[in-house]
Amino acid sequence: MAAWLGWKIESNWTDPFLFTIYSIVKPLAAAMILVVMYGVITNNQFGSPVFAYLFIGNAFYQYVANVMVGVSWAIVDDREHYCTLKYLYVSPISIPYYLMGRGVARVLITTFSVFIIMVVGVAFLHIPFNPAQINWPLFVLSLVIGIIMLAMLGLLLAGVTLRMAQYSFNIGDSVAGALYLFSGAIFPLEVLPAFLRPLGYIMPISYWLELIRRSLVGGVAESFPTFAAISDVNLLLILAALSVLFGVVSVWAWKKFDWEARERGLLDQTNNY
Amino acid sequence: MENHYAIETQSLGRVYKIRNPGKKENKTLTALEGVDLQIKPGELFGLLGPNGAGKTTLIKILTTLLAPTHGYASVAGYDVSKSPDDVRQRINMVSGGESSGYGLLTVRENLWMFAQFYGIESKEANQRIKTLLEIVGIADRANSRSSNLSTGLRQKMNIVRGFLTDPEILFLDEPTLGLDVGASRDVRSFIRRWMDDDPKRTLLLTTHYMIEADELCDRVAIINKGKVLACGTPASLKQSLQKDAIFHIDLDSPKVLVESVFSILPGVTSVKIHDNENKTIMDLVLDEESALANVIATVTSQGAQIVTLQKREPTLEDVFVKLVGQRMEEVEHADAPAS
Amino acid sequence: MPMLPPVSKRHTGWRLFLMTVIGRSYPRVVGMQRERSWIFFDTFLPMLSVAAYVFVYRAIKAPEDYVGFVVVGGAMMAYWMNVLWSMASQLYWEKETGNLALYIISPGSMMAILLGMALGGLFATTLRAVGIILLGSLLFQVHFVIASATQLILVFFLTMVSLYGLGMMTASLFLLLSREAWHISNLAQEPIFLISGFYFPIKNFPAWVPMVGSFIPLTLGMDAMRQLAFASGPSLGWISVNIEIMGLIVLSIMFLMGARLLLNYMERLAVREGRLTESRG
Ligand SMILES: Nc1ncnc2c1ncn2[C@@H]1O[C@H](COP(=O)(O)OP(=O)(O)OP(=O)(O)O)[C@@H](O)[C@H]1O
Ligand SMILES: [Mg+2]
Repeated sequence: MAAWLGWKIESNWTDPFLFTIYSIVKPLAAAMILVVMYGVITNNQFGSPVFAYLFIGNAFYQYVANVMVGVSWAIVDDREHYCTLKYLYVSPISIPYYLMGRGVARVLITTFSVFIIMVVGVAFLHIPFNPAQINWPLFVLSLVIGIIMLAMLGLLLAGVTLRMAQYSFNIGDSVAGALYLFSGAIFPLEVLPAFLRPLGYIMPISYWLELIRRSLVGGVAESFPTFAAISDVNLLLILAALSVLFGVVSVWAWKKFDWEARERGLLDQTNNY
Repeated sequence: MENHYAIETQSLGRVYKIRNPGKKENKTLTALEGVDLQIKPGELFGLLGPNGAGKTTLIKILTTLLAPTHGYASVAGYDVSKSPDDVRQRINMVSGGESSGYGLLTVRENLWMFAQFYGIESKEANQRIKTLLEIVGIADRANSRSSNLSTGLRQKMNIVRGFLTDPEILFLDEPTLGLDVGASRDVRSFIRRWMDDDPKRTLLLTTHYMIEADELCDRVAIINKGKVLACGTPASLKQSLQKDAIFHIDLDSPKVLVESVFSILPGVTSVKIHDNENKTIMDLVLDEESALANVIATVTSQGAQIVTLQKREPTLEDVFVKLVGQRMEEVEHADAPAS
Repeated sequence: MPMLPPVSKRHTGWRLFLMTVIGRSYPRVVGMQRERSWIFFDTFLPMLSVAAYVFVYRAIKAPEDYVGFVVVGGAMMAYWMNVLWSMASQLYWEKETGNLALYIISPGSMMAILLGMALGGLFATTLRAVGIILLGSLLFQVHFVIASATQLILVFFLTMVSLYGLGMMTASLFLLLSREAWHISNLAQEPIFLISGFYFPIKNFPAWVPMVGSFIPLTLGMDAMRQLAFASGPSLGWISVNIEIMGLIVLSIMFLMGARLLLNYMERLAVREGRLTESRG
């Protein structure tokens, strides 16, 4: 029921115009920024594994931006824009389930958008694609674990958002921007200064993106040293373990922040200026 | 320019186009029709009507926020359609339940900001804000963020915003909406004092509370479905019922009494029956007192007993019932699901 | 005894205009700084995404000046976001809260309200942009080589005038929109990052792209700034700085006049159709 309500709200995206904006125009433009940056510097050497690394990482990073941010954004959206958060609260709907419902809608839309970007990459930008060489079971398994993990992170962010009512406008987007940096999405972790790398190693997203790359284009991932020493199975185990860890933290944090937000009456605060 | 009306309308009307995304043809809705009002400077004028009567629509037209589709309206002698800028220099408006201003600013800062838009210098504005906040009793909240105010406090802030700029003509759209009894009383007495202070001030307020119109206003227009049904001082409106006899009867009745049984009796102008807790209450307007005997006979024949019977003074509610044929609450309930 | 004396003096004309501008900019100049956390969210976090692009350049061994482009682009991006979210779609929120109606019925002009919004936003964003530039230059050791300080300041000034002019114009244009305004702003975000060249010189595009992109003042502004502030800038510029300055002047005039015309037109239309106060639904 709660999930259904969440779905209903997200799915006004089925308006074809909006759907095009959010699932094609915006992601494609963002990907093109990287493509142009790369092209300008390397004189359009799109065949290199470096390019495939960043292109695929960026494409799948959309799940992070959409699912994680989507779940947490629901809080801001409802509070600031619809002013409905307080009504949801007094209704017998479970908020986490409601948020998850919105998450599911986002997953479907994102999948479509990742697909479009990958098609563009394969068709125009020499991204290697050979169905026979793709490790499908690994791909599907990683994707599923990854999405659940992202939803849990979203819940964590939602809690933080709820608690920081005074300042919530871009928090989800900003965190997604930050993680973009620390999870090896568009450049190998080695490029980071040594003291920042551990952040990448504790983020489940890093392992998830590596698994996705390995399952789709084995050769490309191998030419980067970051996780070369770790086998696929071990990577999966690490991803699973970290996901559980973050999941537990998220649920705990949600409960705590949720309680504090009620305590301080932050549910209907708005911040227009 | 002393001989003009503060507010004048001539067969004023407004028809809304209802945009219907799915369908092609546009429906229209007549929110206001043939409104003729003349309000003199110094008057506290009330518009009384149920939800959807067109009160807000009329205020929007007079405050230059909405163009009329028919007729003419002038405020302070200026045509609202042709010279909105002249009108705007002389008016202000407060709506019940509005959430104007910015939550990040304090009450004082929000009010100061609006004073800026009226060209009032900061020093004078701050002085006035201080005085006004004291009068409405929220001086202690002057420095709290407006996002932290309760509905009642917020509405007091809005009211202060309206009076702050000392407009020639002030529009209040349901100023006591959502306020408790005490706060409403504060607001009403403040409005009255403000009017008494300067005979040139004009104030138009809308309400659907009878007492508000009755106690506060110099003149009242009763409006329903976009039309003005009657207009006059509360006393003169009630006067029109003076020759009628109005009774309030508490009944003890084993079965439900039907109004139509009574309304066909000779001499009965209107009858309203409703249940209150376990009593049945009958409000009766008769042409003359002698018709009462018939009513009582009918009550008894229905197996009901009269607990108390009072003759009372007419109220605006009775005037409304007589004009519309329904009590105000009934009109509102009937309209509610439609919107 | 009267409880309140009448207002002794009401300014009109340009004084009123100025007061309205100051009044409307106040919430942004003061309010937006009130919550200290903006330093973190509006400076530090954008810095992280700037850093992500910096490291991409490092990963593909780009010349160091490109790192500087990203830092400057990140700072300018703050302005673009401010114009999109707090100018263009702002009147939609103002309508929802009921402020719009109060602005319109006040004797202060709507143009002054928009200008106040713009100046307030410009001020608040400049605090953020300076933070990003300082932090970015320190962290990534950006090496600026200023060719002409006067031209640089002029370019920045003109870019801001025309950018916020564009914001004012779109705000009027969006007056009649409701939630669509929000979606349109959202649509304009990434594609503009791309075609205005926030992170790279636009010279490498086929010429029609920057030409179309020039309608966004940041395209010309940033291209000129890159040419004026970096050693390798002149060789990577699209067209000469002087032409870009001329372009920005034209854009400034066009947008400010456009804002005025559109505002009048939209206000009249909204009054006729009864769409100044309607909220959801
Ligand atoms: N922008 C609009 N578009 C279409 N119809 C409208 C619009 N605004 C108001 N109406 C309709 O016009 C009629 C009169 O509305 P108005 O708001 O003037 O009533 P009111 O007397 O102020 O009622 P309330 O007591 O509920 O405030 C209503 O039926 C309303 O639905
Ligand atoms: Mg109303």
